Amino acid sequence: MIQINNLCFSFATTEIFSDLNFSINQGEILSIIGPNGCGKSTLLRLLRGSLKPQTGEILWEETPVEKIPAREMARKVAVVPQSSAIPFPYKVRELVAMGRYPHRKNLLSFQDKADLHAIEQALVMADILPLAERPVTQLSGGEQQRVVLARALAQNSSVLFLDEATSHLDIDHRLELTELLVRLNREQQTTIVQISHDLDLAAAISQRILLLTEHGKIAEIGSPEKVMTAINLQRIFRVDVKVDSNPITGTPQIVPLINCSTHQLNGLKVHLICGGGSGKTLLRRLHLAQAKITAGPLNQGDSDEAVAAILNIPVAQEIPFSPFSENTLAATEKLIKKTDVLVITTQWWGAGNLPCLELADKAIQQGIPIYLLAQQQEQDYTNGKAWEKIQLLQQQGAKAIRNEEHLLEELAQQLNI
Amino acid sequence: MNKSKKANKRWLWQLLLLLSPLLAILISLSAGSLELSWSRLFAILLQGPGTDVEQVIIWQIRLPRALLAGLVGAALSLSGVTFQAVLRNPLADPYLLGVSGGAALGAVTALTCGIQSPIVIPLAAFVGALAALLLVYLVAQAHTCSSHTLILSGVMVGSLAAALLLFLLWRAPADATRQAIFWLAGNLSLADPDWLSWGWLWVAIGFLLLWSQSLNLDLLTQGEETAADLGLHVGRTRLILFTLAGALTACAVALAGLVGFVGLVIPHICRLLWGPGHRLLLPFSALLGSSFLIVADAIARSLYAPAEIPVGVVTAILGAPFFLYLLRRKGGGL
Repeated sequence: MIQINNLCFSFATTEIFSDLNFSINQGEILSIIGPNGCGKSTLLRLLRGSLKPQTGEILWEETPVEKIPAREMARKVAVVPQSSAIPFPYKVRELVAMGRYPHRKNLLSFQDKADLHAIEQALVMADILPLAERPVTQLSGGEQQRVVLARALAQNSSVLFLDEATSHLDIDHRLELTELLVRLNREQQTTIVQISHDLDLAAAISQRILLLTEHGKIAEIGSPEKVMTAINLQRIFRVDVKVDSNPITGTPQIVPLINCSTHQLNGLKVHLICGGGSGKTLLRRLHLAQAKITAGPLNQGDSDEAVAAILNIPVAQEIPFSPFSENTLAATEKLIKKTDVLVITTQWWGAGNLPCLELADKAIQQGIPIYLLAQQQEQDYTNGKAWEKIQLLQQQGAKAIRNEEHLLEELAQQLNI
Repeated sequence: MNKSKKANKRWLWQLLLLLSPLLAILISLSAGSLELSWSRLFAILLQGPGTDVEQVIIWQIRLPRALLAGLVGAALSLSGVTFQAVLRNPLADPYLLGVSGGAALGAVTALTCGIQSPIVIPLAAFVGALAALLLVYLVAQAHTCSSHTLILSGVMVGSLAAALLLFLLWRAPADATRQAIFWLAGNLSLADPDWLSWGWLWVAIGFLLLWSQSLNLDLLTQGEETAADLGLHVGRTRLILFTLAGALTACAVALAGLVGFVGLVIPHICRLLWGPGHRLLLPFSALLGSSFLIVADAIARSLYAPAEIPVGVVTAILGAPFFLYLLRRKGGGL
């Protein structure tokens, strides 16, 4: 029904989509999911024709979207936006009546029977009939969202676009809206395209799911079972999840494995050997967990150094773009001596940072536990010297750790001992 | 029962509003340095125009003046409603988009050039107002820009005009300056009566065209994106509405200078009383705006008669407290 061919779109210099291809079938429920800022809302606006792509085309039943007159388009598709400020105190009924605008015959036409019926029906379906005479400005956010939904329903369009339409709703109305969407889809064959952050609900009602990457590419499109895999979600949202099947509906159900806010490392002294951005996530997470962090050696201007400076973390500093000097290494050694644990996140090894591994070696002799974050042999540019040292550290008890999440878990255990 | 009572009460209010301009004109006719009793007033009105002193005062001085006040009040209120809706800004008034600055610059240029003709000054003001509006459109590329950009460009063009105006006044002879300041404060006595019928025609056409856009105005208050989603050509509609509102303001400014407050506050009062739907809001604002300015002018003329207070002073002193009262009673829901 809607065909997207080679779509490219940028805001000024920021590229949002390049060469996007997919199609939306008549009568399906398609959910678009993806991380914040990946262009989900922009995609809806492009599909609607409110934004013009730089290249590529969007066809509505073979007709290019830009050739469809504005009011005809509004009869084809209704949009429920993310949230909109409503500054004027229209009565709920008046606001819902605006949904009939694309159906009116001329400038002055008053509401006819069909209009009144559609408005009444929309009020009932969105469960706001008791609010019909109240000014919208006096309603709560969730109630306003239902008013806007009712306005879209009053449009009687065959396609419905929803941009996080359930975000302000309580669980009662969220489920009710979901039910309503399913019913519209089943009884009136309404095509529904929704953006959703509620993955479980999206999986439960969608025929297909479109998963976008952070860079606006299609990571996967297809049935919920095909898209909602632990690997896909780990790749796109960078969280560890387990995908179960819902005991009642049998659709995929996502269970986040670790709740990161539970880690508390009160006062645990951690030294980070990092650099080149490899440590910035961990610096932030450790800081949030209230660990006492030191770091270094780090060159000034390194992105890890910048993060450490903002978080007031003591760092053994080196001047920019230089190998680490004796002084810096000595300062680092002092910091390491005082620490409870040493974590090495540095990813790329060269002649410049090789001495760091010597420091690690000294530390392990002193009985300081060492954790090595995701080390890879291919990133060793010292003719195998660094890799050899890493192996040696591991033989002496240094632990290899897959990702930040696991490390925090390990450290939490360390604290308990 | 209660509901129908309420509905009855509302009809009464609306009937009163419909009759209010007539009532206001009667008040205005009886007020002034020559005081007339109501019976005497009706007697003169029944006699028709004539050469008797009282007849001349009523038919040739007070009536045209009341009609002018009504015209200006209606035009400013209509244009205030439009600007507030389209810019979605409760602080918008007819002068926001540089119209006042342009008009003042046009009129004062004419005045300082030594032109005293009652024909040239309104024309100059009118041209100045429209020129300023055009400049704002072109600078902001009003067809596609956001309303914030439009407001900012309007304010900038207004400031530019104000600077040029000050420069002109600084250079002008004292006599012209005084006259210019009189004009800038808003004055309902300058216009040539011949302009009246043309002005009313202009306002009537402007009103009808605006009224035909009521639904579009309603949609635009929901924001540009929502309006477009509902099938409105936002750029085109906005251009039409601004042109209409701008033309109405230019007309009012040309005939009476810069009368303040009416265009800002009358739309708010009407919205508080009768809701924001434009199908009713536009005619009600026009009616209330014209009655309000007619009465304000009557008060301005009679309070220190034979001297006149600037009408803007009266409109603000009458309007502001009433507006604050409504605001409190309705709990701040603008």
